[in-house]
Amino acid sequence: MADTLLISHHVSYIQKLGQSQDELAYHLTSHLRLNAIYWGLTAICIMGRPDALSREEMIAFVMDCWDDNAGFGAHPGHDGHLLSTLSAIQILIMQDALDKLDVNRVVSFILSLQQPSGVFAGDSWGEIDTRFLYCAVNALSLLGKLDLLDKEKTVGYIKRCRNFDGGFGSCVGAESHAGQVFPCVAALAILDRLDIVDYDTLGWWLCERQLPSGGLNGRPEKLEDVCYSFWVLSSLSILNKLTWIDADKLTKFILSAQDPEGGGIADRLGNMVDVFHTNFGIAGLVDLDPVYCMPAVLIEKMGLRKGWTALERRQITSK
Amino acid sequence: MHGVKRVHQSSEAIQARKLKEQAKITEYLALANDVLSRKTSEDWSLEAFRLTTRLLRTNPEFYTVWNYRRNICLQGIFPNSSPEAIYELICEDLVFTMNALKVHPKVYWIWNHRRWCLNHVPEGPNESDLQGWKKASWERELAVVEKILDADARNFHAWSYRRYVLASMPVSRTEESELAYTAKKIESNFSNFSAWHQRSKVYSSLCESGKLQFDQFKKQELELVRNAMYTDPDDQSVWIYHRWLMGAGDDSELLLQEITAIQELLDEQPDSKWCMECILHYKLLLLQKHSTIVDVKAVSEECQTLLKQLKAIDPYRRQRYDDLAAAVLRL
Repeated sequence: MADTLLISHHVSYIQKLGQSQDELAYHLTSHLRLNAIYWGLTAICIMGRPDALSREEMIAFVMDCWDDNAGFGAHPGHDGHLLSTLSAIQILIMQDALDKLDVNRVVSFILSLQQPSGVFAGDSWGEIDTRFLYCAVNALSLLGKLDLLDKEKTVGYIKRCRNFDGGFGSCVGAESHAGQVFPCVAALAILDRLDIVDYDTLGWWLCERQLPSGGLNGRPEKLEDVCYSFWVLSSLSILNKLTWIDADKLTKFILSAQDPEGGGIADRLGNMVDVFHTNFGIAGLVDLDPVYCMPAVLIEKMGLRKGWTALERRQITSK
Repeated sequence: MHGVKRVHQSSEAIQARKLKEQAKITEYLALANDVLSRKTSEDWSLEAFRLTTRLLRTNPEFYTVWNYRRNICLQGIFPNSSPEAIYELICEDLVFTMNALKVHPKVYWIWNHRRWCLNHVPEGPNESDLQGWKKASWERELAVVEKILDADARNFHAWSYRRYVLASMPVSRTEESELAYTAKKIESNFSNFSAWHQRSKVYSSLCESGKLQFDQFKKQELELVRNAMYTDPDDQSVWIYHRWLMGAGDDSELLLQEITAIQELLDEQPDSKWCMECILHYKLLLLQKHSTIVDVKAVSEECQTLLKQLKAIDPYRRQRYDDLAAAVLRL
């Protein structure tokens, strides 16, 4: 079992993902392609290997995903959606290629999805979720267009999703879930409205996600999973309460979920790896901005960091 | 990917699998490309609709194809169909998505499609009962969601969907029946926090609408919680719900009563972290909100003792206990 972060393994795992056209699973996941590229690119950037994937090819692919009716789809020919639109913007920014983007059209697509309640729909079919609200706030902030957003209405919706345990759910009435706490808290951080958060209660709820294995779960009495390391850690980081869990034990848990042969990280020890868990596992270990989920140096350079600190680089780099 | 075991495969085995997959890939891509090009050319035919069925059966996460399927209905099929035919098609789609959910109970797009179906049930079957089909469909939907929750009582998609169904039904269910449902789920498994959460929401809505006062259900809820605490004192769910019952701690009598009751359990289970955590929390509330009626010095010392014990038995969260100890000193 590996006790260091196997950077070269993970980089080569991510490189191979784009060349797996001979695997059925590759084609069955085309609806997540743009998100997967964002996960892969973020991971190689924070591992210090931004050149491991071809920049030109990637930018061309992103632009091919543009849907003339609505933002970016996850793949050429797929319908536009807020999830893939945020990924596209994040990729273009990481590749310093924002000049390719018709900012006004993207912004009007994003703003068109805000509902009277303040939440955002993912597309014109109307599914609502606080994750989509976060995508909108994050994207508008990255594009420097937050002033066009009705902030009161947006914050009002998040406030109505707050539960007695301090956490937030996917919509009004829904159970607190670490994967929804992150988007709500991060959106509030971007909007300078962390006063909505009950720090002590939420900090308590979040730190109780750590289980004896060191891993974190997403809700009370559920199994631990590597992807929650980012959702919980980033939320704790925004609240300045990272010390409320045992970071060394979490590090060991994430490292144990690595595939020491093929590279990549799984949800937990001994399971199949994927790019989602690879990114969020590495994210829990190295220099990531906890609000935008992008390399900390980049967010710092763009002047977007406020009161929070980046997730620090832990002593696990392979020699 | 969640919960799929990694198996070591030799390079020969991988090659053999890839070879076997090749035919499937060719077939899948031909179908996907056919559907997407029909979508581009705005083919709203029944034939296109059937092709989306085939494709979604293989890949229910292909959201673009669900979107296309709905557009075929809205642009091509519904305008030329009788209400009976529309209702029949929607019923078939509900069966289709139910079968998909049995295999993929956590795919957002399937749940979304059901919402759309239910919102497009036409009026009918006749003038005297225009709401008939709608009522029947939403009633059936609640049964469907219960089946999914029987298979996985914590599926948060299903719980959210359940709240959506309850809010949308043409003939609303009473809040009492929802309380009975959550009680049933809790009694079959105390550790089901999703059910406790739902229960807190139902009570909150009853209180907000003025239909019920906290005092009317306090005793009964505390008894339910007491049972659960004694059954499994290590389970977080019940303790979190207990905190909800205690609210902001404005009722000092209730705080004192519950501290005594939990202390009895702690005496039986001297290592119970959650007993200590809750007693500590309620004592802190006493110090913060009722300092005139308690012996502040004694309670503060009790808090410090509890914090030391917690730090010893729960070292992962030691820094939180240290922070709380410092906060007690500042009170």
